[in-house]
Amino acid sequence: MRRLPVYFLLDTSGSMFGEPIEALNNALSGMITTLRSDAQASETLWISIITFDKEVKEIMPLTDLPSFQLPEITCPQSGPTFTGKALDFLYDKLQTDIRKSTSEQKGDWKPLLFLFTDGKPSDIQQYKEAIPKIKSINFGTIVGCAAGHKADDEKLKELTDTVVHLQTADSNTLKQFFMWVSDTIEQGNKSMGVSETIALPPPPSEDIIVI
Amino acid sequence: MKPSTLSYISKLLDNKGLKTINEDALKKFIAEEDIEEKVASILKTQDIIMDKWIIRSRIIDFQNQSIRISNGTVNTNYNYAFTPHFFSEKHITQFEFSDIDDLGLSFNKETNSIEGVPKKSGTFKLIILFKVAGESESTDFNRKEISFVINPDPKSLWKDIPSDKEAIFWKEDDKSSSGKLQEKSIIVSSKRGRSHKNVGSFRDDDFSFKSFENTGWSIVAVSDGAGSAPFSRKGSEIACDETVKYFEETILANKELESFENKINSFSETKEELLLEEAKIEAKKTMYKAVIHVHEKLQEIASNTFQENPNLFEGLNEINCIEHFHSTLVFSAFKKFEIGYVFLSFGVGDCPIGIVNKEQTSSSLLNWLDVGEFGGGTRFITQRDIFHSKERPMSSRFSIHVQNDFSYLFLMSDGVYDPKFEVEANLEKTNKWVDFIEDLKGNNEDNTTIDFDKPIEEVEEKLNTWMDFWSKGNHDDRTLAIIY
Repeated sequence: MRRLPVYFLLDTSGSMFGEPIEALNNALSGMITTLRSDAQASETLWISIITFDKEVKEIMPLTDLPSFQLPEITCPQSGPTFTGKALDFLYDKLQTDIRKSTSEQKGDWKPLLFLFTDGKPSDIQQYKEAIPKIKSINFGTIVGCAAGHKADDEKLKELTDTVVHLQTADSNTLKQFFMWVSDTIEQGNKSMGVSETIALPPPPSEDIIVI
Repeated sequence: MKPSTLSYISKLLDNKGLKTINEDALKKFIAEEDIEEKVASILKTQDIIMDKWIIRSRIIDFQNQSIRISNGTVNTNYNYAFTPHFFSEKHITQFEFSDIDDLGLSFNKETNSIEGVPKKSGTFKLIILFKVAGESESTDFNRKEISFVINPDPKSLWKDIPSDKEAIFWKEDDKSSSGKLQEKSIIVSSKRGRSHKNVGSFRDDDFSFKSFENTGWSIVAVSDGAGSAPFSRKGSEIACDETVKYFEETILANKELESFENKINSFSETKEELLLEEAKIEAKKTMYKAVIHVHEKLQEIASNTFQENPNLFEGLNEINCIEHFHSTLVFSAFKKFEIGYVFLSFGVGDCPIGIVNKEQTSSSLLNWLDVGEFGGGTRFITQRDIFHSKERPMSSRFSIHVQNDFSYLFLMSDGVYDPKFEVEANLEKTNKWVDFIEDLKGNNEDNTTIDFDKPIEEVEEKLNTWMDFWSKGNHDDRTLAIIY
């Protein structure tokens, strides 16, 4: 069976401490619940969650949706945002996670990546160097999400053409954003085939701008 | 006097920073002030406090422990076994899972496991009521909550929305057919996949076949329209129909295979390999014309549609509008000669053509499949570049196969091949084809039996039933042609 692997790279740096991280947890949980009741997603979707602050952690390795259990995401009270380190980690992870088609095994569908950040990379150099590596992987889509006024849209633009800006990282906006993410994933499921990239669904509200 | 009393009092004084005067004075003090009894009472009280704390800490430890149990799925057997000493090593003496019977589950004390068939989906809190060692019978049970996810039954999530009959290029959601191909019979079934039913979109697969009594030739074509191409339902239909039409109206009408047939006949007498090689080249040339014709016809219909309704082709032009019709194509034309059946086959895309000999001891794949590194990396008859690809030369897409007789010839779309053969390599294995035949004959979960000896209409109907097999993650359109 072909899998649709979806990676979430979540910023858990100090600025997420408190209400934002709580909002993120709630929004993720809502998204997972929605996906569980999507016919295609429930059969093909595999999800991995990687968090990054000064450390990069794979808090949930690539797991099929029916077995998936959402862990609570926590963050330190302060500290840097090592986005570059996270991308490097992801790159290595993909080398072993993703199944390519051979005559003996079914390849995965092109993986999807959602990168969520409320700041900018603290490790600019490593971030720059990681971008071409990530781009070399045949992602179905990469969505960069910049939440709040401190998030750097331009830096995300270097990684992907699809950057979504959330005005705030409050509970309601995050919830809407992750609903949109689940729509995008469902779309990804449907457009498996020749299309090179996934058509993104329209953003749910004026608080969420697709740049 | 107990030595414990003396040591208790000296420690007490010591803790308070008072110097012990001397042991005798202390002993005298203890005796005269009834200290012995008081210390005994203190020690007893301390023991009681300690015991109570131990009980409390056992409760807290268990309540704080993160317990993750695997997720369940509605209508699917569930079993989660705790390790044999899971509860006892946590000093839990009594426990029960409250209200899990509402979910269709129960706790089996023998196997220390939660089991049953979940009835409703959602995220639930399982409540464990428990007592730890040391708690009396009369105390209330303690509570612990465990988060528990039950997935919906995947089958229940799929809707069945009919396709819009008013839409451009509408076609039937399911189609089947049967008939005679000279001395052989054919049954074909093509069904709309779950993913299409779920959203009310169209069946993108198609097929066509015809037998030409006067020439002895028969031809069968199967095509799979690309899911992402909006008009692939029409693309696949044109691909199949035009293949058959061209074969009839041009190739056979103009006797374009005459020289090929003569060479095959001479070969069967002389066994001169060169003749066979020449014949093969001629056949490829003839088939190549058919393939070109199909491509051009698709281009023509795409361009016409574009001219009539340019608004349907956002971002495309008069030439690349054919992308909206992306479809694969396989076909096999065959005829019985003195040396046996001769099959002229072609394939672009990932639909296999497989043949199994009369004794069912050997099988052959008559085409190779276009599979990409990632899922969905197939090729289409609508893509111009397949005609001049260096990596996958056009000539390699044709094959000429000779076989004495055969039990079954199959043409199928990936909607059947994916769930039944899984990977390309399995198409090369005779045992997988034999398993497939057994599956058709009843060795399947639904116990659907196709009896090929029955009248053909009945066989066709059974095939239609068989086509509905459930396979997780495989929800594409299914088309299967069986020649037997």
